[in-house]
Amino acid sequence: MLIACAGAVWVIIPFLWAINNSLKTHADIFKPHAIIPFLQFTPTLDAWNFVLGDPQVLNCLFSSTLVSVGTTLLVLLIGTPAAYSLARFEFRRMKSRDITLWFLSQRVLPPVVVLVPFYILLAQLGLVDTWTGLILLYSTFNLAFCVVIMRDIFRDVSKEVEEAARIEGASLWQIFWMIALPLSLDGLIVTAFIVFAFSWNEALFASAVTSQHAATMPAFILASRSTRGVDFNFAAVNTILAIAPPVILSFFVQRYLARGLSFGAVKG
Amino acid sequence: MAVVELDKVSKRYGDVVAVQDFNLTTSDGEFVVLVGPSGCGKTTTMRMIAGLELITQGSIKIGGRDVAGMIPRERDVAMVFQNYALFPHMNVFGNMAFGLRLRKLPKAQIENQVQRAAKILGIENLLNRKPKELSGGQRQRVALGRAIVREPQVFLMDEPLSNIDAKLRVEMRGEIIKLQRRLGVTTFYVTHDQVEAMSMGDRVVVMLDGRIQQVGTPRELYRKPTNRYVAGFIGSPAMNFVRAHVGEDGTVSAGDDFRLFPPGSVMEGVRKLGLAEVWVGVRPEHLKIRREGEPASKNVIRGTVEVVEPQGSTTLIQLNACGDLRVNALLEEQLEPAVGARLDLWVGDDAVYVFNPGTDERIQ
Repeated sequence: MLIACAGAVWVIIPFLWAINNSLKTHADIFKPHAIIPFLQFTPTLDAWNFVLGDPQVLNCLFSSTLVSVGTTLLVLLIGTPAAYSLARFEFRRMKSRDITLWFLSQRVLPPVVVLVPFYILLAQLGLVDTWTGLILLYSTFNLAFCVVIMRDIFRDVSKEVEEAARIEGASLWQIFWMIALPLSLDGLIVTAFIVFAFSWNEALFASAVTSQHAATMPAFILASRSTRGVDFNFAAVNTILAIAPPVILSFFVQRYLARGLSFGAVKG
Repeated sequence: MAVVELDKVSKRYGDVVAVQDFNLTTSDGEFVVLVGPSGCGKTTTMRMIAGLELITQGSIKIGGRDVAGMIPRERDVAMVFQNYALFPHMNVFGNMAFGLRLRKLPKAQIENQVQRAAKILGIENLLNRKPKELSGGQRQRVALGRAIVREPQVFLMDEPLSNIDAKLRVEMRGEIIKLQRRLGVTTFYVTHDQVEAMSMGDRVVVMLDGRIQQVGTPRELYRKPTNRYVAGFIGSPAMNFVRAHVGEDGTVSAGDDFRLFPPGSVMEGVRKLGLAEVWVGVRPEHLKIRREGEPASKNVIRGTVEVVEPQGSTTLIQLNACGDLRVNALLEEQLEPAVGARLDLWVGDDAVYVFNPGTDERIQ
């Protein structure tokens, strides 16, 4: 219990710090003689007003949303059928377990390693600083994750139920759509959420391959240093804006998360 | 309704033979039970008829059509699975209507057919429930409902009653038989329970190690088993087998306390084969107690009572004869001989079965 409380405090303090700072003026943040810096200030929404009035911030929020949602949809669209076929069929040349392992190996690679090659690739395709470029990039990373997790979840769908559907006259696609997918909905929602959160939070590649047009929130925050050094109050607002969507979303998917994160070990 | 013909059907997984040369032609509307221990190939055979498993060799015809290359949908069969395999995310109506919807039938007709099937099974009031809200017996009915609603040519049932408790099982057994008779649809029924096989099948196929051991009516299997395996599998409690010497005087014996006279024709067969030793089989329910004062039968099994199991109207006893022979006897009387008591049993000549110890085949 004590450890849990300590853990909670540990995790929550940065958030509180951000909320706290977002309500301060620039002067209050660096106020030299405050005895209790957490309380001794005049709360103001100036920072919020300033940031939300900045078209660049709104543009980044839009980019983040578009890129994350786009990535999630693309990954699910390609990943779930792939995962299903790896869960149900054996292929002639390679075992589906080996193919899955190969997918998994893509996650082991440190992302920095492929940063430069990807940049060159996108540059040649004319996709630097575009939403399409980012979506393709993120899909590359997250596809492996989706395939590995969804394969496990599909494997938990009762084979006999699928066979029953086959006898009733369903084709493979119909079984996938009408039986396997609805029965794996929990896992699908969790996978979608995790892919969304990964894409939303990704900063390294976003900073590297975007500048203005397609910059996402994390990229914007990394770049948000003015001539006065870091504006902590603005940074705090930006941080909260960046954190909020996945956190709010996580409340909705919470009941699936616990089950889904056991990676299909428990039947949904 | 259709005749199903299986001709030399075989299934191999690599080097492992699951089913070998399965030959069977049903009559229209027949109830065929496949029975055998687990791994004997009975389920594989059924799955090959369903189209869930490809056949390695041979041919399968349903209603005269060769279905070997057909997917399940084209075969027009319905299957009831061991664990029901209902669609958990659909209600009962959705489960039953699934196949009809895939065939794009008009809505009114689907509604009609589902209602009719539900009525036959007495599940009209469950149509809006999800499978998880149903009891085992109700789920079983829904699974049957899903099978009959499409009015298929063949029913396939894979141990449909093995997950139901004993009392309900007897009840459902009767219902399935009634249902099958009423609909007149050719049915294959897989079970490992010989009682189920005997009580349900028009014909029973006994399988072992992927091969058919015998096909026949329940009565034929019981009276004229072709080999020692079938003789031991059919009937409960199982037939007693004793290794016995063949005597010059037409007896088979395993000592002074176990001496039987099989019918003359059988002994002639034994002599023709030149056997010195045979397996002798006697069903526990054919053994009778020789009461005092009754003339001694020539077929004698004498021994001491080791175990007594009263079973209500009957009593099962285990007799120790000749020191190391164990013989079970199911006595019709409600008597309870004391453990350790000497008992004289006898049996009619025609109830003594003799098997060739080399091939395990019955000598007729």
